[in-house]
Amino acid sequence: MHLVDQELSEPYSIFTYRYFVYLWPQLCFLAFHRGRCVGTVVCKMGEHRHTFRGYIAMLVVIKAYRGKGIATDLVTRSIKVMMESGCDEVTLEAEVTNKGALALYGGLGFIRAKRLFRYYLNGVDAFRLKLLFPRPDLQPSLQTLAYKDEHDYQIPIEGCSTNCSKF
Amino acid sequence: MADDRGFNVPTTTTASAAAAIPSGDGTVWTNVSNLLSSACNELCDGELIHGDNFSLFAAMSALEIMDPKMDSGMDNGRYHSVDEAIENGAAPVPLSFDKTMDVICILDIMDHLLACEATWHKGHSLAQTVFSCTYLMRLDRTSAHPLLHSFCRLVRATCNVVISVVSEARTHEEEDLFTIAYGLPLGGEKGDTFLSTLNAVEETLCRQMRACKSPAAKKMVVEGTWTADQEPLQTNPDLEEGFCRALLCRLRFRKHYYHLLMCMKKPQGRGFELARKHISSCLLELQQMQKSAEFLRSIGCLTRKDTVPMETTASGRHPVGFDANLNIRSSALAPPRAIKTLSWDMAFEYFKKLLHDLDVICSFSLDPLLENVLQFIVEFQKLQPDLVARAHLHVLLIQGGKLYGRDPVFFVMCKASALPESMKDLNIQKNEAVVQLGQCLINLLKILCTNVAWQRRKLGKVLQDWRVIYVQLEIAFREEFGEFSGISDENVCMKLARHILIWVEEQTYWIALRFLSLGFELELYSSNEYCMVYWYLYVILVKLAEKTHLKQLSAADSAKRKGKKKRDSVMDTKDYRIPPAVMLLQCYICLAEGLAMMLAAMRNELKLFQHVGPFNTEYERFVQHFEHLQKACLPDHISYHSYKDYTAQARLSTLVTYNHFKDAQKIVKELKKSFANDPDKMAELRSIEQVAERNNIAINVINRVGALDATLKISLEFTYHPIFAVAVVKRS
Repeated sequence: MHLVDQELSEPYSIFTYRYFVYLWPQLCFLAFHRGRCVGTVVCKMGEHRHTFRGYIAMLVVIKAYRGKGIATDLVTRSIKVMMESGCDEVTLEAEVTNKGALALYGGLGFIRAKRLFRYYLNGVDAFRLKLLFPRPDLQPSLQTLAYKDEHDYQIPIEGCSTNCSKF
Repeated sequence: MADDRGFNVPTTTTASAAAAIPSGDGTVWTNVSNLLSSACNELCDGELIHGDNFSLFAAMSALEIMDPKMDSGMDNGRYHSVDEAIENGAAPVPLSFDKTMDVICILDIMDHLLACEATWHKGHSLAQTVFSCTYLMRLDRTSAHPLLHSFCRLVRATCNVVISVVSEARTHEEEDLFTIAYGLPLGGEKGDTFLSTLNAVEETLCRQMRACKSPAAKKMVVEGTWTADQEPLQTNPDLEEGFCRALLCRLRFRKHYYHLLMCMKKPQGRGFELARKHISSCLLELQQMQKSAEFLRSIGCLTRKDTVPMETTASGRHPVGFDANLNIRSSALAPPRAIKTLSWDMAFEYFKKLLHDLDVICSFSLDPLLENVLQFIVEFQKLQPDLVARAHLHVLLIQGGKLYGRDPVFFVMCKASALPESMKDLNIQKNEAVVQLGQCLINLLKILCTNVAWQRRKLGKVLQDWRVIYVQLEIAFREEFGEFSGISDENVCMKLARHILIWVEEQTYWIALRFLSLGFELELYSSNEYCMVYWYLYVILVKLAEKTHLKQLSAADSAKRKGKKKRDSVMDTKDYRIPPAVMLLQCYICLAEGLAMMLAAMRNELKLFQHVGPFNTEYERFVQHFEHLQKACLPDHISYHSYKDYTAQARLSTLVTYNHFKDAQKIVKELKKSFANDPDKMAELRSIEQVAERNNIAINVINRVGALDATLKISLEFTYHPIFAVAVVKRS
């Protein structure tokens, strides 16, 4: 909570964290370095207008640890769980000025589906980003996706977490 | 009584509260304070109540962080109500017993209110901006102070006019906040009676300004020997003229602004000529206000409180009587945004822009031809107008279900379909499908006046409506015209059906083009998606050009049939020229195809502008971006495979030889003759020329050295046109 409070512009109550982490613990990942939590991703998934959709609610890595692929790894792990759980797509919002987040998600295959006027409390617009998983029934002629090997996503720091512990 | 946690828990229900809500037949009031207190004591830190109707989602959603109604930890500032603030002297009337200070304070209020109003227009709540002014919250208190009172009444009246215009237009999501006025004292004004008080105040100020220039008047002020009708504004004769000017220009700006808004409210643009005069006056008074800033800063009126000068007042002083937190408990929920009031300079820039945008609307000739209306709206949106300006355009265009409140929709559609006026009297206009088509058109015009982010989402959704209405019209025309037996009637009916159906298709592709184009403005496409976007743009443009040309040919054909040569087609004549509107579309076709092929070639040969992701492929991104177009079959038989097939063989060497950009340049050269008297079109042609020329050069350079020189960096920039990029080649 402290990590998110410090780094994100939107204020969340403890009830927000409880909601996500208690109901979808398998989608929440923490990254640790020498016993210190340096990054986290918090997500959910569920039915949304006849699709099964994953949603990335929060993604934070503290400043000193950025640029090392930690955020990409955290997000990738949660997206993999979503995919394996049967999600059709994954979505999130990001500030239009957040070049880092846009590059990260763009690199994973998210498109900018919509622009949301003055979405954030600071008045900044947001993009709704969406990742559509392939549906083999629609494109049988396509080759199966080649996923990168697991080891490409391991962070070269000790104590890399799996699922989060309770708050 | 305080419990262990320090909460004050009432132990008895007061008599007045009980009387206000009496017990019913099966209900009785009972005091549960002790029960609640015990329950609270049982909860430890970090524990949460679970219940069937209180899920984790409910717990999260119940809180509105930073809203003091829900967030008890919010520090609400000094006072908890307007009355408390007034009792503690936060908004004194008069502002000072020293008349000079009183005038300075009033000027600060006027300036800060202007900044608050601009802040409100830019997306904050009325309650926390304009109505953060305690004097406005209790206007009756100022009745003995004519200057402050009439100014406040004018501000209140202006807010009412603006709210009524924006309410009439469409607002969505974040813009819905604008019209929320719950709990604010906006009523109380009957008609324009406040204007006569304002005029009297203005006359007094004029007299005072004239008087202060005479030495005799100055002597009177110094000696204090004036009569009732000679009373000066304040007691420092050297500052009298400056203060009078400063007050007059502020009053006059507001007055002209109010009159401007009232003129624009008149239907069918009847008040536009006078509105434009008020706009000019507003701009002049704004200039005077800016000049007065120098005077106000020079008189050294800053106090100890103003160690950091305020940015919202000309004097730099903190204005008296403002508190954004005062009515937060009684007003409706608003996003808990930090309210940063626009600076005075930024407020000026806002109002100048608003006046300019309103002037553009007032200059519009109320063209009855739909394509000109659409062109006007598109050009107007390029100015990036804010909500108030857009609302005025909306209200002008659609009144009582008619264009400008004047032209029935069927009439507009007939003209758009290049049908003669006599058609507007046909009974077909009562047909359900035709009525629905009219509704689609009205809806389209409303959508086009909204903010572009929301607009694009809506345009995507209505594409299917337009396709469905096309099918319904085909069926309706077949059913309706099957009843006519006379040959001449049949010709008329077939002509109507053909023209309207062609127009509906043309309009549908126009919407598709607008949908795709707005994606660039909203930065929805990343560079590795440009290839597919330009390709789809090319496909849509081809269909649009085809339909536009078909419509113009049908119109020309119909006109020709009335003349002597009844059998020949228009295109058979040797001096047939492709209409300029179609040629312009052909330019865009060349640019779109050129860019798609150039990017495809760079991808095929140099592996540039492509993306391989771990979770999906280009196919999924194509499906997402063009979902609405594909669902509406715009056009038929177009798919991802069509795109891949078309671009798979793109090669730079081929593009150098067969160059779409050169084609665009040739057409532009021809078009310049047709659009010589249209400055907007000429500017557009110049942009197209620049894009074509630079991309032509880029292709040649890349073809010669691209594969060989690893230091070459190619980027895509929108320097010359907001939709068509230019490839920029640099050495890294």
